[in-house]
Amino acid sequence: MPPAARAFSRRDTVLFVSCIVLAFAAIQLPDRMRDPIASALRQTILAPLVAIQSDAEQSRRSWLTREQREAQRDSIALRSMSLESALAENDRLRKILGLGQALKWGFVPAEVLQGRNVGEEYTITLSAGARAGILPFSPVVAPEGLVGMVKSVDPTMSIAIAWAHPDFRVSAMSIDGNAFGIVGAHLGSEPERYLLEMRGVPLRNNLKPGTLIVSSGLGGTFPRGIPVGTVIDSIQTSELWARTYLLKPAVPPSDASDVMVLLPARTTAGVQTVWKVGLHADSAVKAIIAAADSLARLNGRHDSAAMVIDSAPKRDTAARAAKAAP
Amino acid sequence: MRPTDFVRTLLAFVILVMLHFTLRPLLGWRAGPDFLVIATLLVSIRVRPGAAALLGLCVGLVADSVDPHVFGAGALAMTAIGFTASWLKAVFFADDVLLNALFFFLGKWAFDIIYLLAGARGDAGQMAVQLFVWSPLTAAVTAIFGLVTLLILRPILRASPS
Repeated sequence: MPPAARAFSRRDTVLFVSCIVLAFAAIQLPDRMRDPIASALRQTILAPLVAIQSDAEQSRRSWLTREQREAQRDSIALRSMSLESALAENDRLRKILGLGQALKWGFVPAEVLQGRNVGEEYTITLSAGARAGILPFSPVVAPEGLVGMVKSVDPTMSIAIAWAHPDFRVSAMSIDGNAFGIVGAHLGSEPERYLLEMRGVPLRNNLKPGTLIVSSGLGGTFPRGIPVGTVIDSIQTSELWARTYLLKPAVPPSDASDVMVLLPARTTAGVQTVWKVGLHADSAVKAIIAAADSLARLNGRHDSAAMVIDSAPKRDTAARAAKAAP
Repeated sequence: MRPTDFVRTLLAFVILVMLHFTLRPLLGWRAGPDFLVIATLLVSIRVRPGAAALLGLCVGLVADSVDPHVFGAGALAMTAIGFTASWLKAVFFADDVLLNALFFFLGKWAFDIIYLLAGARGDAGQMAVQLFVWSPLTAAVTAIFGLVTLLILRPILRASPS
């Protein structure tokens, strides 16, 4: 700081004393006079500076709270993630409850216990066993449809094969009851491994993509009307006398966390009203049966009429004989 | 003062005032630098004592308007240190870093003393703590920032060759 030579004049002293007096006067000002002056200064000279200061303080607060905000944001993201899974689980449990209400009796709820280890992708361990009444070959179902079949039973747990198991088979039919076939795992390459095949469908039955396939009830293991999957498309096989269709499973592998095991009595009684998909086939069958009954009744009437016609000459002959008798 | 020097000094003053309202709140320190004192001192040593007193009064009044309860105390303190700085500059202002630091330190501390006494805020204990703990600390920080500011603004504050 370079010094600058300058005289110290009387004018400077006067100015200094005046400023000091003014400052003291400002200190001594009553509120009613002081506040308007201060307010005027704030609203004119100081206004842009205060605005800048406000922005600076806000920036500082933002800087200081950035870690806290990041932590809060992460927590919220984590909560929302767990919320989604909780909602999905809630939805799943609601469906299970709905299935339980629809079945009403003859089932055992079970939880799928194990993870999908190598070599165990197609079998599932259930948290209920023989003590709960589960027997081998009991169907395992979920709200969406068929999951698999119990293979072996222990007192407190049981092992089931899922629909993806190479040994799994279920007799199935299209929802309208026109096409029948055997559904098993599609043993293709990895992306298609978790699909199903419906084999042995007669050539005259052409199933459109999206057609629902349900268990037919033939064979006695699976009751009629459990959704198995939906038709994706037909696939080419070496079989010339039948068609094979690729199916999208009704129960995705990830959804098999809570299941129901149907007891033998329930399997025998049927579950057509549970998924409400077998009703069409059932009504079709009933209609066919009714039509057959009607035909039979018609035939019966025709037979009766014929008998009446046939017996009429005999009655006339008898009447004439009675009249001729003395 | 030549017009060029006046513009340079004015520019430095504006920069320091802006720093007072931007950098100071950004730092948010309990004992933060007082750029208004630095600005007043820097200008005061370049003008006559009367003008320095007037500048101090204006700066002090504007600063006091934020807190009307002590309206005038800052003006009184700024007037005093502005006038004194201008009056004593021939003694202090050799171009020496330590002397400049001491100048800022004493200027800020003197400002605080006058301000607190004129404002008469708090009880004696609080005032003593403020005067002998926080004020020296704030003065030291102000001195450091004043030196840094002098180094940065040296091209602006350099006097024009006569």
